[in-house]
Amino acid sequence: MDELIAQFTIEARELVQQASEDLLSLEADPGKRESLESAFRAIHTLKGSAGLFDFGPMQGILHQAEDLLAQAREGQILVGAGLIDPLRAVIEWIDDSIEGIMQTGRLSEVQEMQAPRLRGLLTGEMAEHETSQIAGMLKTIPDWALALHRLVAETDRSPSLIAIRYDPHPECFFNGDDPLETISRLTDLRYLGVSVKVPTPSPQDYDPFRCDLLIEALSAGSLAEAQALFRLIPDQVTLVHLRASVGDPDVAEVQGSPDPLAGRRSTTMRVDPSRIDKLLEIAGELITEKDGLIPLAHEARSQGSGDLARRILSSHFEIERLVGSLYGAVTQARMIPLERTFRRFPRLVRETSAKLGKSLDLIIEGETVEADREIVDSLFEPLLHLVRNCLDHGIEDEAERLRVSKPVRGRIWLSARQRGDQIEIKVADDGRGIDAQRIRTTALERGLISEMQASALPDEEVLQFVFAPGFSTASQVSDLSGRGVGLDAVQSSVKRLGGTLELQSAVETGSSFTIRLPITFSLTQLLVVEVGGERYGIPISDIIETHKVPTCDIQCVRAGRAFILRNRTIPLLHLGELLQMRPSSLASGTSGNLTVLIVRSGEEAVGVVVEAIAERSETLTRPLSRLLQNVPGIAGTALMGDGKVLLVLDMEELAQ
Amino acid sequence: MTVCLENQTIVLSGTCGVEDVEALVNYLEDRSDLSVDISAATSVHTALWQALMVFKPRIIGSTMSSLIASKLLPALKAYIDKDR
Repeated sequence: MDELIAQFTIEARELVQQASEDLLSLEADPGKRESLESAFRAIHTLKGSAGLFDFGPMQGILHQAEDLLAQAREGQILVGAGLIDPLRAVIEWIDDSIEGIMQTGRLSEVQEMQAPRLRGLLTGEMAEHETSQIAGMLKTIPDWALALHRLVAETDRSPSLIAIRYDPHPECFFNGDDPLETISRLTDLRYLGVSVKVPTPSPQDYDPFRCDLLIEALSAGSLAEAQALFRLIPDQVTLVHLRASVGDPDVAEVQGSPDPLAGRRSTTMRVDPSRIDKLLEIAGELITEKDGLIPLAHEARSQGSGDLARRILSSHFEIERLVGSLYGAVTQARMIPLERTFRRFPRLVRETSAKLGKSLDLIIEGETVEADREIVDSLFEPLLHLVRNCLDHGIEDEAERLRVSKPVRGRIWLSARQRGDQIEIKVADDGRGIDAQRIRTTALERGLISEMQASALPDEEVLQFVFAPGFSTASQVSDLSGRGVGLDAVQSSVKRLGGTLELQSAVETGSSFTIRLPITFSLTQLLVVEVGGERYGIPISDIIETHKVPTCDIQCVRAGRAFILRNRTIPLLHLGELLQMRPSSLASGTSGNLTVLIVRSGEEAVGVVVEAIAERSETLTRPLSRLLQNVPGIAGTALMGDGKVLLVLDMEELAQ
Repeated sequence: MTVCLENQTIVLSGTCGVEDVEALVNYLEDRSDLSVDISAATSVHTALWQALMVFKPRIIGSTMSSLIASKLLPALKAYIDKDR
């Protein structure tokens, strides 16, 4: 995909979301000035970005939308449904266009066909204010542009000229900018002037690496071309469109920067996430590398240099502290608010509920809670599924709600809060709830539980069966949720992110799904073990203890093996067999002691034989992606200091 | 060498990047009487143009780039002559 288009789609999504949020808040409070300003800014920026491409009517529509907002800002029109509804239609139209633009690089025909309708919506409002609109467009052009225009006015009769004033940043050479080269890329340059801003710098004051130039130019090319060329340095360039105005230069439209809002430019900067990931990777390697100092200290001590050993250890301690804070800072840089995912829901819910004929309110709370970017981005799919589930199966239709004396409008909550190093996200509804008894019957029918278990299990645990693969109690499949992908898909995607999913529900009162997730892919302590000549990582939190068990203490229990530990019989499994390695590659281990890890498997403790315990390592475990994500027993991968990738095992899943 | 001294003339040749500005400035500082020949330069970084504008030597030749030759150079020479 074209890089510019890719950049546009990212920006456009953000701006669309910003604008729709602003419209929502204006709807609630029409007097909210900052929302009006923010909506104007979003549409204005969106118009600027869209202007770089040929998206047919999009530019014009955005221009009209911007005009409407400008009038509202100046108090010429009232903020109300008459303003908000057409703007919302525009925003939704753009939102719908982004996907197609991403794939084809252009506006789809379907979208284009909707343009006249949008124009109609927008002008319906504008017609009454036509006079003021024209008055607003008459702005004087700055003197410098007029002076430039006069320079070529006699010889150049181009219908339209762009006056450019480029004031490069003094440090721009360090950014790799070559201002004159940049401006010479304009296709139809009619005039180019350069001057040194400081009149005559004395040789002592002259710094060859500091840019003190002012460049002025006239181009007969399009405004879009100039905007595209300078899009990365809008703060250094002023563009003025001189339109067919040789005789009457006062009628011109000022475009581009300096924007009246330029002073409020955000202080954040956009960084390619892969750069942060690279930093994280390096920080991870440093963590592994620093542990190499410990054996060094031991070696020094064994050679009688106790003092040197102490110094190495104290330096190890200091490096450990620094690396820890480096790691913390880098992980912090990856944190983004959940808002990014949450704010996609209001529109979705509004549309879906309209389709279903259910009226309801979506209540969003805690969208400022932050988590790792990857977690926030991966949350959309599972949350979408849960919200749709509430919409479709949870919330009753109006008649039914009235019958059980509930408010006609249903409610869905999407809320988040931070609890320690976890985030807790709740998707809840005040709908009909889930009948535990019905789940119990279905689970029994499907053979998921025995009759005895069915009667013994408390309702809360029975409810969790809705997450079992293929389990569905909905009598009819709707095109919203259902359709093959069940709640089990939601659970497995939450699990992949290292989280858990739970359901609470009460009949007639509603259901509530709770997702608990780590805030970041935090550092885990791994125990590196060897089996069959391969190395694997096991999270130390999974290991209760390690033991040397003499071979003679192993007893055969039917097909399996077990041993006694503190008066308890512990089943014994071999890691190599769990991983289905060829028996020939495994050490026989018939003599001497076996190295056994005692791990948790549900409520039970299980012994797992490994050939050797190599080392401990503190590292970052990342969830498996794509092809590997359904491999059972593998929790993720960890990058080791030597650049090798270690598979991290999920002992509980393996031992089942 | 993209910036060098030949026959009492400072010669710019090939691609003259921002890193060449120091060499050019050194020559210009030492010998303000020398001319600068830009005819062999394929591209000249803004930093070097700026140095020429500050030290105002006599500029010989034209560059490969027609745009620079037709638009920038006259402007540059006009600027230098005006201040002389």
